[in-house]
Amino acid sequence: MAPKLSTTQSSSGSNKPIQTTSQSPFPSAFSALFKAYTQNTSSRLKFIDAFLVFLMASGILQFVYCILVTNFPFNAFLAGFASTVGQFVLTASLRQQVNPENKLEFKEVSHERAFADFVFGSIILHFFVYNFLG
Amino acid sequence: MRTRSHSKSPLSWSLFTLLSVILSALVQLSSAGKSASSTGDSVLVILEPAKKAEYSIFLDGLEKKGYTITFRAPKEEHPLLIEDGLPNFSHVILLASDTKSFAKDIGPQSLVQLLSLGTNLVLTLGLKQNLLTSLAPEFSLLLPPPATPLVSFFPERSDSPNVIPIDVSSQFIPNDTFSVLSSQVTGKVWFSGTPFALNPNPLLFPILHAPAESFAADTSDASGLVSDALADASEKGGEGLWAGSSLSVVAGFQTLIGGGTGHGPDAGSGEDKQTRAVWVGGSSLFSDEFAKKQVVEKIIQERGMKVVENPSGNKQAALEIAGWAFQERGVLRIDEVTHHKVNQTGPVEMYTTNDEIVYTTRISSFNPSTKKWERYSGLKDLQLEFTMLDPHVRTALLPVSGKPGTYSTTFRAPDRHGVFKFVISYQRKGFTHLHHTLSVAVVPPRHDGYPRFLSAAWPYYAGAISTSVGFLLFCAIYVAGEAKEEKKNKKE
Repeated sequence: MAPKLSTTQSSSGSNKPIQTTSQSPFPSAFSALFKAYTQNTSSRLKFIDAFLVFLMASGILQFVYCILVTNFPFNAFLAGFASTVGQFVLTASLRQQVNPENKLEFKEVSHERAFADFVFGSIILHFFVYNFLG
Repeated sequence: MRTRSHSKSPLSWSLFTLLSVILSALVQLSSAGKSASSTGDSVLVILEPAKKAEYSIFLDGLEKKGYTITFRAPKEEHPLLIEDGLPNFSHVILLASDTKSFAKDIGPQSLVQLLSLGTNLVLTLGLKQNLLTSLAPEFSLLLPPPATPLVSFFPERSDSPNVIPIDVSSQFIPNDTFSVLSSQVTGKVWFSGTPFALNPNPLLFPILHAPAESFAADTSDASGLVSDALADASEKGGEGLWAGSSLSVVAGFQTLIGGGTGHGPDAGSGEDKQTRAVWVGGSSLFSDEFAKKQVVEKIIQERGMKVVENPSGNKQAALEIAGWAFQERGVLRIDEVTHHKVNQTGPVEMYTTNDEIVYTTRISSFNPSTKKWERYSGLKDLQLEFTMLDPHVRTALLPVSGKPGTYSTTFRAPDRHGVFKFVISYQRKGFTHLHHTLSVAVVPPRHDGYPRFLSAAWPYYAGAISTSVGFLLFCAIYVAGEAKEEKKNKKE
């Protein structure tokens, strides 16, 4: 595992020149950003990002429904919305901890430990959510 | 214990039954009374002994109704009105209207105290100033200046202008007011005395109005008929204050619950302490002279006029006025109040918000002829309030057909929790005021009293479930990916 991680770190280090040279108009900046992301991000982080996007979309949908249609029953809204927000926070923390770029900051936290923390926190979160839902 | 009492001798048993019969008879006697009044039999008449014979017809009529009459001269010291803080008589008639000074214990304060202690009063005003002229304003009566009796020159008659026949049948009585003078009062009622205007007071109501053509005037001055004092007083009170049919010659006053504050444990059952006072402009209304005096009426016919002499209605009117004051008629009471949930029987400790509540009450009225309380369904405008500070529900309490005296209503408890009160507050002129309050708690639904899952909340349920499912899938794929990587690493 360790060599793989070192390669990703080196590749992420190599995307710096692309970012600095992109002083051009927005479309090219976005495409450059997108290109860098697809090229330089590991599939694991991409997978985590996909889950984050899903959670964000779900939370936004619920919030829009609450504002436009009804907030009744309010406890169900709170539970549904909080589950997406909470899961997002937990998943984002996991992403921070398994991101090879942050290896120096989380020296003492192994990936397995990070994942176990994530699962533990999520289970507690879902326990509260379902208690509050009905 | 039962087996022991069975073994007792038959003699003790018969004694016991005899005692119980006597006791129950005593109880019945004390509750029923022998007079037509619902509050008591004893009447004190304050009257100059020399004038006793002038009121014999009225006083005999009272005795026939079962009252025991005690006389007392105005300046006599005994019998006392109030002894040891308790009233000595159930009813007091003050016929000594022309007396200037009274004994020490007859004063405005003691008369008011009598009312709050449960004694009914009949007060007659005279032309001179005495204690009653100073007491009258306390009852919202506006008296004209002293020595200004009611005067009317219509209809044309041989009597002096201050002896006036008043037509009872043409009196206007509002729908919600008890008519003190019933249809049994036939003929006109003779009146001579002081009229009075009524200030707006919810407890005060006119029993007999003055005729439309009449006015208060000073008859001692033959020239003008309007004295300076009256003119001054009229200017103060407004023109026409002491003229016309807005004047009253007899007025009734129904007190609120005597003594207590009317709230909480002080309120009592609400009907036994209410007292009545009747103000009569002249004591001659009760006199034999007016009871016997014929009313001469001229009836216009096709061929000239016909003169008819009718007996006056004074005898019956006097008895009915005193009868109302003595709480014979127009006396109501609340016997029973029950409430429960719809489709359930028996009382409940507390209601849940939005419960359907059935409230039922039973009301009796005193019947003076049978001397018993009878169930009464005649109230058409009874209302029930469900209050917490403000009435949250105010609904009509209608009589139930087929059940005499029962009034019932069904209403939904408000969507508000707290301690509510069922309130009946029925105050109509001439009737006993009905007051009844009953506290009950209204609580929100229990934790299992709500519907658990609502269709409106499905988007939120879906959101929560999708998060959980997403989490599970994420874990599975994440772990699978990790395993793959490890394999790869091992291969490498």
